[in-house]
Amino acid sequence: MQPLIELQDLTHAYTDAENNQVLALQKLNLQIEQGEFLAVIGANGCGKSTLAKHLNALLLPTGGKCLVNGMDTQDESHLWDIRQTVGMVFQNPDNQIVAAVVEEDVAFGLENIGVPHAEIRPRVETALKAVDMSAYALHAPHLLSGGQKQRVAIAGVVALEPRCIVMDEPTAMLDPLGRKEIMATVKKLQREKQITFVYITHYMNEAMQADRVIVMDHGQIVMQGKPAEVFSRVAELQTLHLEAPLAATVAADLRHAGLSLPRDIITNEELAAALCR
Amino acid sequence: MLSDITLGQYYPGNSVIHHLDPRTKILGTLLFIIAIFMATNTAGYIFLCVFVMAVILASRLPVGMVFRSLKPLAFIIILTMALHFFMGEGEQVLFEWKFLRITQEGLAMGIKMSLRLVLLLLISSVLTFTTSPIVLTDGIESLLNPFKRIGVPAHELAMMMTIALRFIPTLIEETDRIIKAQTARGADFSSGNLLQKAKNMLPVLIPLFISAFRRADELAIAMEARCYRGGEGRTRMHELAYTKVDVGAFVLIVVVMAIMAALRWWPL
Repeated sequence: MQPLIELQDLTHAYTDAENNQVLALQKLNLQIEQGEFLAVIGANGCGKSTLAKHLNALLLPTGGKCLVNGMDTQDESHLWDIRQTVGMVFQNPDNQIVAAVVEEDVAFGLENIGVPHAEIRPRVETALKAVDMSAYALHAPHLLSGGQKQRVAIAGVVALEPRCIVMDEPTAMLDPLGRKEIMATVKKLQREKQITFVYITHYMNEAMQADRVIVMDHGQIVMQGKPAEVFSRVAELQTLHLEAPLAATVAADLRHAGLSLPRDIITNEELAAALCR
Repeated sequence: MLSDITLGQYYPGNSVIHHLDPRTKILGTLLFIIAIFMATNTAGYIFLCVFVMAVILASRLPVGMVFRSLKPLAFIIILTMALHFFMGEGEQVLFEWKFLRITQEGLAMGIKMSLRLVLLLLISSVLTFTTSPIVLTDGIESLLNPFKRIGVPAHELAMMMTIALRFIPTLIEETDRIIKAQTARGADFSSGNLLQKAKNMLPVLIPLFISAFRRADELAIAMEARCYRGGEGRTRMHELAYTKVDVGAFVLIVVVMAIMAALRWWPL
């Protein structure tokens, strides 16, 4: 099967304020499969957000190719198809909600692509239901909590029925409760609507719940694999200024001290189970 | 403190006036304003007052609240009346003292002019009290649509208003936060003369502007990611539709104008 998104030697160079050439992405190769939950982690400035913006043609590659469902993002005639295939949720929930009423905001994308009047309302209702925000359809967004606002933003994307949603640190500005809400929503949408997620995050415990994790550094993918594979490489993560989950760190220390523990411990539960054995 | 500011003055309700199409209300208000300026004689003014009272009652708004909306412009109303009282030309002098002269004609003119202002304000308040800002924006967009051909950016204006409505509460919240942050750093917003006070607001305004520009930038990207490409080919979730009641309202306003015309040119 053809992957949903394929990056071939993707390179993005730009000139910064001091007139230096900066390579935000360097010859990046990646395939994202339909229905997958892919987490992207990496220190600040490693190119995560630049990568995200390439996936729905908000930025165009300066070298290499980005194919979405077989369509090249360079090809302007596919622009709106690509943006309908890959939706995007940003970090600040306040700055992506357009309308002063929740349901109007969810309808915004549908109005943009010219969905007939009669179809808009049912699709808005379905999208709000998918993120458990039906009760707030007529609320004003500025009165909602951060997690609720972010769910409204997700609903706005879900209404467009995309195959993939790219989330650029959607929980960075939320409290722990809001973070949980977003994670639960993402997993629910992946399960029920088979939506592919590319989830950029700073929180390792969120990335641990993904199907696959890629670690970026200086515009390149430096590690990738199942969460258990990536997060058990504690020492390597530390050299990239990333903190491995506590359980993985403790397990590595214990192994170092001579205890024989399996290599793939990353959650507290796994650690507890291994120690009690 | 800042959060007390309410946007617009929409008073939710379920009356006939609330349910009218916003275009009907906007056009009706404009036509009624024309009717106000057609009034010349007492009979005309009495008729207008009765009509406005009837509209207020039909909207089932608290009458006191509607009249309180006159307060911010009370000064102008009183000034208009006073200027006509003292400056009005006329034969029948009622009162004279040094350079002050009040004539019967001036008195009548003053009352009529300020009454016009009062009626104008009352009817426009009924419009804003019974129509939510969002619906009002939809109405304005729809009314401006025919003028697109001569270059009126109807969709863009409406989109700007929508975004403004969405972001005013957010920016007010932010202003509050910046004021608190600057107060915590020892900024003083309450002492000094007017000029000093204005200068003291700079540490609030600069971060506010910077953040507003950043927000605008992010919002633009988010809108683009959601396939926004201007008004071309856009559909709407809420489509405005005239009903029989709207037709009735238009008939009524035309009748009112006809009566005003009759009273003007063929006085009783």
